[in-house]
Amino acid sequence: MNFQAALRKEMLEQLRTYRLLMVGAVLIVFGLLSPLLAKITPEIIKMIPEGETIAQLLPPPTILDAVAQYLKNTGQFSILLALLVTMGAVVQEKDKGTAAMMLVKPLPRLTFLMAKFTALALMFIVTIAIAGLACYYYTWLLFGALDVPAWLALNGLLLVFVLVYVALTLFCSVLMKSQAGAGALALGLLFIISLIGSIPGLGEHLPGQLLTWGGGLMAGETETYWSALWVSLGIIVAALAGAGLIFQKQEL
Amino acid sequence: MAGIRIEGLHKYYGQVHALDGLDLTVEPGTVFGFLGPNGAGKTTTIRILTGLARATQGDAWVAGEKVSADFKPVAHRIGYLPEEPAFYDWMTPREFLDHIGRVFGLPASQRAARVKELLELVGLEDVSKRRISGFSRGMRQRLGLAQSLVNKPEVLLLDEAVSALDPAGRKEVLELLERLRGQCTVFMSTHILTDVERVCDTIGIIARGKMLVQSSREKLLAQYAIPAFEVEVESGFEEPLNAWIEGLRRENWIQSIQDNGLICRILVEDIEAAKHNLLPSAMQAGLVMTRYEMLRPSLEDIFLRLVGEGEQE
Amino acid sequence: MEEIRQFIPFLVPIIIIQLILVAVALSDLIRRERTKGPKWLWALVIIFVNYIGPIVYFVFGREE
Repeated sequence: MNFQAALRKEMLEQLRTYRLLMVGAVLIVFGLLSPLLAKITPEIIKMIPEGETIAQLLPPPTILDAVAQYLKNTGQFSILLALLVTMGAVVQEKDKGTAAMMLVKPLPRLTFLMAKFTALALMFIVTIAIAGLACYYYTWLLFGALDVPAWLALNGLLLVFVLVYVALTLFCSVLMKSQAGAGALALGLLFIISLIGSIPGLGEHLPGQLLTWGGGLMAGETETYWSALWVSLGIIVAALAGAGLIFQKQEL
Repeated sequence: MAGIRIEGLHKYYGQVHALDGLDLTVEPGTVFGFLGPNGAGKTTTIRILTGLARATQGDAWVAGEKVSADFKPVAHRIGYLPEEPAFYDWMTPREFLDHIGRVFGLPASQRAARVKELLELVGLEDVSKRRISGFSRGMRQRLGLAQSLVNKPEVLLLDEAVSALDPAGRKEVLELLERLRGQCTVFMSTHILTDVERVCDTIGIIARGKMLVQSSREKLLAQYAIPAFEVEVESGFEEPLNAWIEGLRRENWIQSIQDNGLICRILVEDIEAAKHNLLPSAMQAGLVMTRYEMLRPSLEDIFLRLVGEGEQE
Repeated sequence: MEEIRQFIPFLVPIIIIQLILVAVALSDLIRRERTKGPKWLWALVIIFVNYIGPIVYFVFGREE
């Protein structure tokens, strides 16, 4: 009952503060732009001096170039967006005092926190779905049809990848005393994960591998990276549990 | 109906002892004035009672249930208004109260009626469709009061609820609190004495984390106020007034005398002796008086004296 | 050049999204009482910096 109330408030807030519009616009534009960029890159290169010769050396763009563009663009920007829309989630409510107002009411702190994560997850589910659909449509117009099950799997993996950073940033937002601090700590964690990923043999067990996996599926490869999926889900659960435990003990 | 009980409450912030063994009891259905200078520990006490902060040591009960952090069933039965209430500014007051109603699990029909009722009660129905972000301090305070009443609380905790309001707004809110007497227990902290004098049945004075005194208003006045008289003479009578004062100082029913030219203030030990002797002795001294008055003891005198004594310890 | 021109219709939805962002950001800017930094500067940023302008405004410009 009060989870519903809290979730309703979070979703209403996403609408009113234009966060949903912002995330949706960025991801959809990249969904449309990625296949288009893959298609016209050789034409653009032709326009620069000496471009004609370079363009002839390049192989003609394929459907997999469109997929690669999509993974690169939405992968990068969804992390950035996850950080931006999540970093203030808890710390801002603590700072302004709305958390204190709400949490003396019959609203358990865990419910408060989980409603936030659920609303953010729903936001990315919806926006990634629309972006995936947009990309599918343009790719179909420009190159031909994508393999639907593989495309669904790729977008599912992209979603898990984003949710890792949503959960981590939410944890930072509980831990830190300012929005900037939360953002900085989340960036730090992001950096540490990419650092660990550069150690040979470890990278394939980290969230980043999910995108590689998705790309491979589109290319018809059958190799699986389940460990990366389990590690990602593990990070999400651990970050949320940690956030919950710390939040329970905090004075507001 | 339920009250509040606090036993031996301590709260340390590092080296600072915000609360230093606080005890108090609030009888159900009364309006309790929690009085003290800024920094005395009033807000800390209320934050512990709501479960927002944890006591370092000691226990507290609100509405019969022991206070603990995070979710507790007692949340359904209390209302809380912090000193500076915060809202989701992108909502309208109607939406905010509706959201609070949802959190309390009120069904839709009941919620709509309650929201309407509260908006009227605090006089915000005209601005019920404007966003809270544009609200003045007084409007926010009134909305804060409305949100604390959504669940018809048994215990209402108010932290400096009226301090931020202008005199008219303050009068309205105090009258509103007056109407709640008997329906719910009101625990209001304030540093403004006239508010307390107006509505509170019982008064507790806190300074430096300790309860200095807790008593009904009348008892407090009777026990701590020193009876005083003021005598004013016509100009030209300074000399005889001084002589008269010197004579009076030797009487054993006098405590002290403040001399301010034509006016003198006489604090007495024995009120009955003073009533019988003061006026005849002034006549005898040949004073031509323009005013002779027995002063009503004020809460402010008591407060200042008690807090002052606390400081000296 | 000819090859590129044939792809121009594909840009229409992207331009529409850009226009929606600008319209929403500007209408919010006009109604808002306080912003971080001068309003006219935000108006320029929203109108002239494609995509990024309205988004930067949504994230950093608004003050509740």
